[in-house]
Amino acid sequence: MARVTALGQAALRWVSILAVLILWQVFAEAHVVSAFLLPSFSTVSVRLYHDVVSGDMILAVALTLYRAFAGFALAAVFGVAIGILIARISVMRWFFDPLVSIGLPMPKIAYLPVFILWFGVFDASKILMVTFSAIFPVIVASWAAADGVEGVLLWSALSLGAGRRQLLWEIALPASMPQIFTGLQVAMPISLIVEIISEMAMGGEGLGGSIMTEMRFADSPGVFSGILAIAIVGAVLVKAMELIRRRLLLWHPEALAG
Amino acid sequence: MTGISFHEVSHTYRPPRSAPTLALERVSLDVREREFLALLGPSGCGKSTLLYLLGGFLPVEAGAVTVAGKPVTGPGPDRGIVFQNFALYPWKTVRQNILYGLEKQRLPRAERERRARELIELVHLGGFDNSYPAQLSGGMKQRVAIARTLAVDPAILLMDEPFGALDAQTRALMHEELLAIIRRTPKTVVFVTHDVREAVYLADRVAVMSARPGRIKEIVDTGFAGEKGPALTGTRAFADKVEHLWDLVRGEAILAQTRRD
Repeated sequence: MARVTALGQAALRWVSILAVLILWQVFAEAHVVSAFLLPSFSTVSVRLYHDVVSGDMILAVALTLYRAFAGFALAAVFGVAIGILIARISVMRWFFDPLVSIGLPMPKIAYLPVFILWFGVFDASKILMVTFSAIFPVIVASWAAADGVEGVLLWSALSLGAGRRQLLWEIALPASMPQIFTGLQVAMPISLIVEIISEMAMGGEGLGGSIMTEMRFADSPGVFSGILAIAIVGAVLVKAMELIRRRLLLWHPEALAG
Repeated sequence: MTGISFHEVSHTYRPPRSAPTLALERVSLDVREREFLALLGPSGCGKSTLLYLLGGFLPVEAGAVTVAGKPVTGPGPDRGIVFQNFALYPWKTVRQNILYGLEKQRLPRAERERRARELIELVHLGGFDNSYPAQLSGGMKQRVAIARTLAVDPAILLMDEPFGALDAQTRALMHEELLAIIRRTPKTVVFVTHDVREAVYLADRVAVMSARPGRIKEIVDTGFAGEKGPALTGTRAFADKVEHLWDLVRGEAILAQTRRD
């Protein structure tokens, strides 16, 4: 019985998506607008299938993911380090606090021309653009997490014989993990979004680049199949982060309850 | 020798963006070796501060705190501490929590595992070795915390309202367990509480503290050393002792209440 309900709930999650797809198909088939403005879902699906089989789409996804992941990884490593340093060292807080306040709400993509000027139009500028955009939520989450580590956890570790240096790795970091990971979960879709926008603006293939190319050739099904692919890649990434979180934070009440 | 001595200890809290508070004023107190001493007083009287100074968690600013004649300079495994809110590492299992202190000592792995198993049995948590703290009740969590502290075999046990977060039944059971543990491995215990009955029941001596700034108002011998047990709480002598201490504390508690509003 419980299994059936669980299955039902999983199915329910797909109902809204299915509804949109059916609506799309019906609307396109009705020819209210031309097939150029809105190719049907079936046309786009067939196109996506062909793009995958031909290898073009695989290459595009691989390129985009490589650059998004590279940028995300840099943002994760430096973001966590900067966030924790801000929380622990007052000079760092004094220096970074105003910068983070200004940088966090700013649309980082506005720096794209500068990044192109400084780092060229190839992988380096895109990866750094992703890092620059994704690092702020990681810094803020790590900072808040490290600030919020209960003092008694550190005290008890010291009284059990831990050294000051061990506190960071053995106590502060694992205690901060849930919040840090929330920051990473925010940073991951940002990385994908910024990577695709950068590709659209500066070219260089990938999902964003190929959509722009197809647009120039008035290849409407190609554009839509690119958008469909982005939606799928994004959803898979978000889901993957959730699963990693579940595995990594096995001890957390949220995981134990599930 | 694990005698503890506070000599003319004062302590001021200086929170950022608000006025400094004098928490302790010229407190002098000696704790004998293997004695169970309770620090009793109203909330905010500085009894926890006194404990944290002894633990080495706060710097001694005025006066002197010594253990076995040596001044306290920082935390160390000779003084184990148990906190009210357990302070367990939520990402570690019961076993891993207990092992943490043992890993800091240079013991062979098999020896560490053996000690951890012993302690899990001692606090009656067999079968919960691989549970995470979030899966345990309050009483079980505090038993893990006690086991983790006992693992490094500290000569001095500091307890900061350890049973304050537990319900009355669990607390009564924990009292028995604590007394049994201390009978098996005698230790010097400094136990902070605002519960008069708890202080009388557990301690050999009770140091009553005044409302802020904290001073030692009076030290009372409970005199029940040999006869601890659930039956004790029903006796006339126990009731008299509780009443005597409550009289000492009442005025201070009222003072602390009115000042907090």
